[in-house]
Amino acid sequence: MTRTLAKLAATVATAALMVALGGPAAQAKDFLLGSELPLTGNLARVGQGMHEGIAVAIDMANKAQAGKHSFKVSTIDDETSPAKAVAAVEKLIGDGVVALTGGYGSNIIGPASEAAQKAGVVYITSGGVTPDLTGRGYKTFFRINNTDGYALAMIGLLQDMAAKKVSVVYLNKEATSNLAKQVKETLSAKGVAVTMHEFDGSTSDFKPLINKVKLQDRPDVVAMVGYENDYVGILRAAKVLKPDVKAMVGVWSLATSQMAKEFPDLMENVHGTSMLSFPVEFTQPEALEFAATYKKLFNKEPDYLGQFGYVQTRLLIDAILRADAAGTLAGGGLPDELRKTDAQTLIGRVTFDAKGDNPNFTHRMGQHQGGKVVLVWPKAFANGAMRFPATPW
Amino acid sequence: MIELTLQALFSGLLAGGYYATVAVGLALVFGAMRVINLAHGELVLLAAYIAYAAESRYGINPVMAIPIALVVVASASAIVYALLSRIEQDREINSLILTFGIGIIMTNGILTIWAADIHSTTNPWFQDSLVIADTLFAMNAEVAFFVGGLALMAGVYWWLNHSWQGRAVRALTSNRNAAMLMGVNPRQTEILSFMIAALLATFAGVAIYTGKTVFPSLGHVLTVKAFIITVLAGMGSIHGVLIGAIMIGVIESLTVTYLSASLQELAGMLLFLVVLFVSPSGLFGGRRALAR
Repeated sequence: MTRTLAKLAATVATAALMVALGGPAAQAKDFLLGSELPLTGNLARVGQGMHEGIAVAIDMANKAQAGKHSFKVSTIDDETSPAKAVAAVEKLIGDGVVALTGGYGSNIIGPASEAAQKAGVVYITSGGVTPDLTGRGYKTFFRINNTDGYALAMIGLLQDMAAKKVSVVYLNKEATSNLAKQVKETLSAKGVAVTMHEFDGSTSDFKPLINKVKLQDRPDVVAMVGYENDYVGILRAAKVLKPDVKAMVGVWSLATSQMAKEFPDLMENVHGTSMLSFPVEFTQPEALEFAATYKKLFNKEPDYLGQFGYVQTRLLIDAILRADAAGTLAGGGLPDELRKTDAQTLIGRVTFDAKGDNPNFTHRMGQHQGGKVVLVWPKAFANGAMRFPATPW
Repeated sequence: MIELTLQALFSGLLAGGYYATVAVGLALVFGAMRVINLAHGELVLLAAYIAYAAESRYGINPVMAIPIALVVVASASAIVYALLSRIEQDREINSLILTFGIGIIMTNGILTIWAADIHSTTNPWFQDSLVIADTLFAMNAEVAFFVGGLALMAGVYWWLNHSWQGRAVRALTSNRNAAMLMGVNPRQTEILSFMIAALLATFAGVAIYTGKTVFPSLGHVLTVKAFIITVLAGMGSIHGVLIGAIMIGVIESLTVTYLSASLQELAGMLLFLVVLFVSPSGLFGGRRALAR
């Protein structure tokens, strides 16, 4: 009897010890994330940049969680095709990914995130800014940037320039059209005369369009909303025709070190949205580690695409860890955990509203000056004076 | 208004020149072999990237890079020809499928080697503006390659009409068996057509590199444009390609100026459809193929 009692006591003590140590929750876990990105096709350049940022986030997470958990990402190229993006998402979900990070292009992210929503899998991105994406009310869709943030930056700069007449030259895709229209509406309400010029992605000679701007509109500022090859075409045409304007202002993919390096003659004094100056000047510990990891993995300085890819993935990983600790990850608790996010990141404060949007997002404006990108707006983040009036010619 | 119109016409003319230099190689190969080379745009793109590599790594002027690019593009064309010549059945449809696949391989090869960044020449002379009568504006690159392209097409036209090899190409198109009986070696003639097309593609590629921007997915766009112009011109008509290309360039430019730039492609396609409706064989198509 005494021996039996002793055995029973030992068993109970062992069980109690296991409970005290946390039992199954203390086991290290491998988390597999999925990423669907355009690594080929028209958006290959931006997809590759985001992919690098995601890789940095994974690397930093594994370092922080060493011995506890590990993270991996499975990436599928969507070839800048909506149909292939859907197939990629379905494949990744079939492979058992915990969540999805990536996507570029609102017209691609739309169907891809719809596929994720149907499977109840979280999809977080920084590559789709059009309002329609969050207007769908998907519980699983999250994004860290939006059209409003870009528009606020462009409008803010144009107001600081005291532009009275603005010509907006914009690509006829969804995100670019939405942004252009938002800029027009806001500026027109403030008494600025705005003329709109839509162009197709196949346009390679912008001289007829810029000539129309030069001879008919005669604006103070030309605002460009497109992608890299569009900007180069517009600036080339403007440099040939030399319209009498005070500034050339664009949005994404323009105020980057890559553009400064590839097209130095075209970029001088041109403005674009940029979270980072170039050369990059990081001071915060997380930012310094991000830059160092980026350099280690890719042997180059990070750009805004990598920055966005990193932030969205870092936030996702943080939410996964919280959900796992709370025991809600397997039960579909990740979306709710993401909605509790309130973090200071490399792009500023990030929270997610009921629609999955980040209402805090406001971009910054940079200007190409002598091969560097200087942040010039808002003044709180500016690290140099804006050159105005100033154009590349 | 007059200034706008004149600039639109001038820009359209120059754009047509670009289109023509891209399309004429495709037209030549089709005329000789009855094969539509859907990898033609990628050959043009390859030449552009060779010019980029030569300029960015070795500081070689893009024009000076033409011979280097020609060697590479000619080699690639030879490989395409070698694969095409193995097709024995349903040549027209099978060559479409084969060259489409080759185009995809080339596009992704370019992407792998040079990544997805956009590129263009950094040579300031090509980007400098040329102003005529304070009304017409263009880049030096556009005018230089327009003139060079005209000269090249004139040379091809002369070659097709006045050289033995050119006549052999035309004879082969007209009646293959009769041409063989007259001593024309079909294989040699076809290879020659491919090499001339490679020369034209090289020139077009360098022209695009100096006057526009290049990126890996551009090849497909160029092929489609070249195909449309080739059909518009009338299959195998070289001078028809030039006229058709200029028509497309001008209509696109006028549409951008007076309507909207987003309707540019639509305008070009409408012109294409109208011409085919009126003349189903194209502007100079039917029996009058290859230069006549």
